[in-house]
Amino acid sequence: MGSAAGKASFVYVTYIRATPEKVWNALTDPEATQLYWGHRNVSDWAVGASWQHQRCDGSNVADIVGSVVESVPPRRLVITWASPGEAADPAKVSRVLFEIEPHKEDSVRLTVTHDELEPGSGMERGITRGWPLVLSALKSWLETGKAVPL
Amino acid sequence: MSDPTRSSFVYVTYIRTTPEKLWRALIEPEFTRQFWAGTAQECDWKAGAPWRIMIPDGRVGDSGEVLEIEPNRRLVLSWRNEFKPELRAEGHSRLTYLLEPQGDMVKLTVTHEIERPRSKLIEAVSGGWPLILASLKSLLETGQSLEATRRWPEGV
Repeated sequence: MGSAAGKASFVYVTYIRATPEKVWNALTDPEATQLYWGHRNVSDWAVGASWQHQRCDGSNVADIVGSVVESVPPRRLVITWASPGEAADPAKVSRVLFEIEPHKEDSVRLTVTHDELEPGSGMERGITRGWPLVLSALKSWLETGKAVPL
Repeated sequence: MSDPTRSSFVYVTYIRTTPEKLWRALIEPEFTRQFWAGTAQECDWKAGAPWRIMIPDGRVGDSGEVLEIEPNRRLVLSWRNEFKPELRAEGHSRLTYLLEPQGDMVKLTVTHEIERPRSKLIEAVSGGWPLILASLKSLLETGQSLEATRRWPEGV
């Protein structure tokens, strides 16, 4: 999955002591994401379905929207990603690939590839800061049961 | 646009611990043996001091010196691989650990860089760091490192 010319990408790899099913669930169940991500990830996760990254303050306002491109539970999920106000502009729509692979005896390797980003954009800067924080919180939640306040 | 004359790997993780505990875990053999494949560092931990990582079978893994040290905040090392000739030939890289408290977490930023393009050393450590740092996080947060990192891999 290469990035088109003139686009930026960000890759983050972590290893989590959990099963692939638990990691998949943590990424796609809104009851889970609200605990460590401060947002509900809402979708039925079928290919072509929309997904929304909704605030948990009762407003249901979506901070990020997109659609499901590929969905192979519990191993591979590809979604598009955009701010709601920019979702109609293809140049502002990026893509996120989650790959969940078993690793040795007790862990999974989670690789998050966020590409098709506009180089130098606020979105690129935001996700570069955001993914390590969110994925650290995800790992802590799965391994300790504690949600990290973001 | 990234600098084409250098190679660099940057990794950020957040660990629920204190800067003091994280610093000890990065330095002391009783911790590194658990999350860093059985290795131990030999160093006096002062600016200018020689530094090396020892593989359990007695080989030197990497060597260099302490460039800057502010306990519990920042450590900068020069780092040359010693046990793979192709990587050793690239010479010394620069490794920076930056520890920044954020609430009940510590933000750890690891920057590993070298002044040459398409470095095989940086490519190699880019694969290693996420696993080692994930294991360090598991150790500090759960008391147990990740299984795969508790010993030096066979045949390496």
